[in-house]
Amino acid sequence: MFALPQLQPVRTHCPFCAFQCGTVVSPEGNQIRIEGDESFPINQGRMCIKGFRASELHNRPDRLLTPLIRNASGKLCQASWEEALDLVANRFRQLRANHGPEAVAVFGSGALTNEKAYYLAKFARVALKTANIDYNGRFCMSSGAAGNNLAFGLDRGMPFPMEDLPLAGTILLVGSNPVETLPPMTHWLQTQRQSGGKLIVIDPRQSATALMADLHLAPVPGTDLALLNGLLHLIIETEKVDQKFIAVRTSGFEAAKANALGHHPAMVEQITGVSESQMRLAVDWLGDARPAMVLSGRGPEQQSKGVATVLACANLVLALGKSGKPGCGYGCLTGQANGQGGREHGQKADQLPGYRSITDPDHRSHIASIWGVSPEDLPTKGLSAFELLDALGQPGGPKGLLVVGSNVVVASPDVDRIRQRLGALDCLVVLDAFANETSEGADVILPVTQWMEETGTTTNLEGRVILRRKVTDAPGQAMSDIWILRELAKRLGVGDKFTAQDPEDVFAELAKATAGGKADYSGITWQRIDQEKGVFWPCPHSNHPGTKRLFLDRFGHPDGRARFHATPYTQAAEEPDREYPLYFTTGRNLEHYNSGSQTRRMESLVLANPEPVLKIHPELAMLHGINEGEIVEVESRRGAARFVAGISPDIRPDTLFAPFHWGGMGAANLLTNPALDPISRMPEFKVCASRIKSRTNPDLCLGEGR
Amino acid sequence: MKRIKLAIIGNGMATSKLLEELDRKHAFSKMDVSVFGEEPHGAYNRILLDRILKGGNVGDILLKPEGWHQDRSIMVHKKAKVTMVSPAAKRLWTEDGTEHLFDKLVFATGSKPRLPQMEGLKDPQGNLVPGVCAFRDVSDCQKMKEYASKGRNAVVIGGGLLGLEAAKGLSDLGMSVNLAHIFETLMNRQLDRMGGLMLGRAMERLGIGIRTGVLTKGIVFGPKNKVIGVRLADGEILEADMVVLAIGIQPRVSLARESDIPVNAGILVNDQLWTGIEGVFALGECAEHRGITHGTIQPIYEQCSVLAEVLSGNPTGAAYQESKTYTKLKVAGVEVASMGINEPADRDDEVVQVVEEKRCIYRKLIIRNGRLAGAVLVGDAGCAPALARRFERQDLMPANRLDALATPFRSAERGGVICHCNRVTEEVVLNHIRVGCRTLQEITAKTGAGSGCGSCRGQLASLLLRNTTEKSVAVSV
Repeated sequence: MFALPQLQPVRTHCPFCAFQCGTVVSPEGNQIRIEGDESFPINQGRMCIKGFRASELHNRPDRLLTPLIRNASGKLCQASWEEALDLVANRFRQLRANHGPEAVAVFGSGALTNEKAYYLAKFARVALKTANIDYNGRFCMSSGAAGNNLAFGLDRGMPFPMEDLPLAGTILLVGSNPVETLPPMTHWLQTQRQSGGKLIVIDPRQSATALMADLHLAPVPGTDLALLNGLLHLIIETEKVDQKFIAVRTSGFEAAKANALGHHPAMVEQITGVSESQMRLAVDWLGDARPAMVLSGRGPEQQSKGVATVLACANLVLALGKSGKPGCGYGCLTGQANGQGGREHGQKADQLPGYRSITDPDHRSHIASIWGVSPEDLPTKGLSAFELLDALGQPGGPKGLLVVGSNVVVASPDVDRIRQRLGALDCLVVLDAFANETSEGADVILPVTQWMEETGTTTNLEGRVILRRKVTDAPGQAMSDIWILRELAKRLGVGDKFTAQDPEDVFAELAKATAGGKADYSGITWQRIDQEKGVFWPCPHSNHPGTKRLFLDRFGHPDGRARFHATPYTQAAEEPDREYPLYFTTGRNLEHYNSGSQTRRMESLVLANPEPVLKIHPELAMLHGINEGEIVEVESRRGAARFVAGISPDIRPDTLFAPFHWGGMGAANLLTNPALDPISRMPEFKVCASRIKSRTNPDLCLGEGR
Repeated sequence: MKRIKLAIIGNGMATSKLLEELDRKHAFSKMDVSVFGEEPHGAYNRILLDRILKGGNVGDILLKPEGWHQDRSIMVHKKAKVTMVSPAAKRLWTEDGTEHLFDKLVFATGSKPRLPQMEGLKDPQGNLVPGVCAFRDVSDCQKMKEYASKGRNAVVIGGGLLGLEAAKGLSDLGMSVNLAHIFETLMNRQLDRMGGLMLGRAMERLGIGIRTGVLTKGIVFGPKNKVIGVRLADGEILEADMVVLAIGIQPRVSLARESDIPVNAGILVNDQLWTGIEGVFALGECAEHRGITHGTIQPIYEQCSVLAEVLSGNPTGAAYQESKTYTKLKVAGVEVASMGINEPADRDDEVVQVVEEKRCIYRKLIIRNGRLAGAVLVGDAGCAPALARRFERQDLMPANRLDALATPFRSAERGGVICHCNRVTEEVVLNHIRVGCRTLQEITAKTGAGSGCGSCRGQLASLLLRNTTEKSVAVSV
């Protein structure tokens, strides 16, 4: 087994975002101290406040320490592991016997290590035999992933390492706010600018990142696609198209060109509210002689036309001939810790490990042989995340659900509807380290280890596979998810298929399963990760150095060419109207992470950012008589939510913004629209129609669950 | 289910957009579509015609890539002029006598240039004489290119959108251009008097001669019937080696009229773009909706989206509403934008005008019931897109009306938070410098600033440098 040093500083990684900063963790008596790892290349000792303060998650009194079972009177009571596991296995077996295998569903997470993600995917298909497994990464990376696959034939969020950013003469950030969401990336953007580069930010808000940019384009929410098409129009008009690159390395330009030429600047101005002169400046910078990158965040992706918008980003770099070269390309900035690895190992309803397709017969038989089952026994494609949650307890829908490391009652669009769906389940089982809004309704809660209590790999936003190491033992009876899945598998009669017990053994099985797949890990070992400070996939054999930069010679499609796509602009599924006149959009704050189930219990973060603050333009605030710090209610067709008013001119006067880190009445997702992208099934988190209560009620409070 | 035969007369931008919208609704799975276009090439983007002037070819501005129609089994008849339609018999005939059946028919015949009443414009066959052309389609542009030569004189007749575009195009080709306009000021449909004057002045500065309030009487010919000038009503002659006619467009409705489809200035349609005759629709520049014919893209694209709903049989109650007009162009480097009305119409309409005479910049807002009813911008249209959004949404205007002309972000937070990781403001750092912090390390120790991602350390260092006098400040980052 891989040696785990104890009681001396341990080099590991942060539990939060996809930057996965290298950290040095030192146990100090009952406490631990966390510092940035200066030897880790992508953060070089830098970190944000969340990472430094992650020690506050250690030794918490509110940690889940034993399994809990809801008794006949509805109260959660302590139970033994034996009792709890038997109960879960029996309930799932009964549901399967009465309603068929699809009656039990699994909901995974981009926070899980590769080993856990892989085991969960296998558990669903082999132990539960259900097609219905999906994960919260569907709400995060699915549009970026689908767009990357369509345009480049391969989905690795960033096809180049972070260290390439300073090579770019111009970086266009589309709907991303890394200064707050991936803070150590700021350093790379600053280095790029200090070496004479230009930074352009597209965001309806003047975010912290937009403030440091050389040019900020602030489109109406939901109109990024029109803006990107307009930029391609101007690239063509000003003759910045790289004809040679297009001829040699791409296909489909004519269709993309015809579509772009239909997006005349005056029309784009009218749709987006961005002026032609700003667009021209952006195109001049993107199209000059130097390398250029386009990087997108969730802004353009979390829309019902998210995939088309990603494809429009790809069209830009391809038309300029700035892809597959150093300092060039399109990248999608992953959000969750293991958002990249989490989607490569089968947690997604349509995928099998190694980025294989569950509908491809060859892929099925490869994975079936690794798993020791016959290909016919593998289920097919199941429901996507929102569709799965929306079907819970409905006629024909799943009646039992296993949630692993995800807080769906805060994170899903139209969250009140999802809360009701969970309530309609026969059996809800939650695996987590802390109680959260989702576990409130659970029938069984199983306590799991958290990041510093276990060892396992993640794959960061660059596609670099890295190793998180154990620092301390888990408190109480908390157990690893891997152990829990094995124990359940035994009880479901397939214990022989889940022999790997140690995470390193699970990784070895995973590596074997991915051999020959697109995301090939078969040449990666924990030893190599340790020695090489991470290994980039694909890495198909042990002598292979890993692939830092993709697409230098060929793109991922069988013919080696990248594909242009015609991406006509369409409106958001719900545009503002007389009844709901304002745009509502959501995003993240620096101090908090995702549904906040970790960060909302960390004292220093709560002190720094205690409440959900609604960004509202002074003009709109004056119109509605709203004062700074007042509690206001925002309504959409799906519900009402309460926030603290934060009056600021850094947002468009027609748009409201709220962070999505809070639950209860402060949940931004009470308002969001679950309209789905036709390809990625990504919900439209970033645009819906809303209204603000014209005069606040002095008795309003933020309510429970803050 | 029986497949529907849809015939579309005209193959321009409206048809192209309509087909796109139908495709998006997967309508081709249940209909067979035939398109009849008079021009020899496919549908092209008329707005980009100036590219042809610059030496491009039609291929550069085609709206659909090769094979697009074929892939969707759409039959496109090029150089096919429809000469007769029988809505009752559900048939139409092309010039060569071929008969085509349809279940539904769309008129998208567009418009043709309006010609001024002038002597000498046409030869005995009724064609424009050599040296004179319109500015409307690819063949007009090809003619313009043929007639134009560097250093010679051109006269453009018409001071609206098209006329200005033509003048710019010819000026770019190196010609000396005079523009003659019958009204007192340029772009009088979109701009008020002051705006038109400002635009004229800006154009003159750039070397294009502007003659407004003049009536053009006739073409003046020299030896060999060569065009040498344009005669004005007062007898003055403007020298010209070529003349471009751009006084406007008129809907092409003769085919519809001959087919007994109700026509006024355009083909009359209701909110569903229906002509009132069973199975017959019209849209685009040839259609007249509630007394208005359109010549700009946005309203026509909106019509396409409505008609696609109607034709694909979705009973969603799709209805075309009056479009919000927005015009934006850059003529010889001068930005011009206009939306809604350009003069107050009600007694209570507020008017805000900002005139910068020296810089030839003019901005005007018309506000009704606290909402934007119209705007005119000449010289600097930077705030036009933001105004267009306000106009479209009919949001209440800010109490200080001038705020609407400012850039949307007023950067209140600049100079606010300096260390985002630890939320330390510039003010806090300055306070610590004031009470004695002299090194970056001290500032970090006291405030936490710079202890996170480290990206603010450069800013902290420069704050230290700017706010201390000692030479010994240690600022290694």
